[in-house]
Amino acid sequence: MALMPIERGKIREYATATAAARPAYTDDPKAPVPPTFLATVVFWTPIGETLRSPAVLRACAAAGVPADLGSLLSLEQEYVYHGPLPHAGETLRTAERLRDVTVKRTRDDRAMIVVRFTVEFRDERGDLRAECNYTSAYVQRERR
Amino acid sequence: MSELASESVSTVRGLAAGSRLPERTFGPVTMTDIVRYQGASGDMNPIHHDDEFARAAGFPAAISVGMLGAGWLAAYCTEHLGEQTVRRFRTRFSSVVFRGDRLTASAEVTRRFEHGAETRVELDIRLRKDDGTVVVSGSAEFAVR
Repeated sequence: MALMPIERGKIREYATATAAARPAYTDDPKAPVPPTFLATVVFWTPIGETLRSPAVLRACAAAGVPADLGSLLSLEQEYVYHGPLPHAGETLRTAERLRDVTVKRTRDDRAMIVVRFTVEFRDERGDLRAECNYTSAYVQRERR
Repeated sequence: MSELASESVSTVRGLAAGSRLPERTFGPVTMTDIVRYQGASGDMNPIHHDDEFARAAGFPAAISVGMLGAGWLAAYCTEHLGEQTVRRFRTRFSSVVFRGDRLTASAEVTRRFEHGAETRVELDIRLRKDDGTVVVSGSAEFAVR
């Protein structure tokens, strides 16, 4: 749980880094967030804490997959917005929850621990404004 | 630029299922693109900028950031549909991208529907390499009225 201020300069920086440096993002003091901007929540709270939860670590250990950065791949991210888009000047409150953990095999038959988790963003009134549904996986390294 | 954007938005209001947005090309991907996105997003995983680290993890070289491709697709969609109107944006990463790859964004309207007081379009979105390999695919919903 953390507070995330939506900052104008951060939106300008993010828009520039994604080839979206248009006035609606760069010049408006109340600029809306670009569709994937909430990924920057990691500057305010360490997202993916559920990737280190006991259920995930147990699954990795059982499958012989190291639960480390070199094995971690992001497979899918989905942003869902409710009500008006969050904009510069607002502060959102975040919370993360684990959805599920499944063991799969890659096409070349390596073990893969797939973890789904959600980060929600609520405004100062407590209204749900956005959710990010993450699907990530720890993948066994190629044998050499 | 803003005139062009508002023109695109008004064009899109007429979009029906089967309509396609004009394609847009990004790259060739450079290390600068990658580190600028990593700095902006806060994802500092060295697998994206440290070739040696990436080789230890089984890749021939550092791989680009999946979310940079998603961000480019988002830039492409908002350019045509407006910055205030995204309602859902889902991206799946199906193939890794290396420096030097050129990427092309495309989108097709799959559905036009009412949601509460809004009219929305759902789009299939895609980012592919020059050889046709799809690197990011997904779907998005935008309000058009």
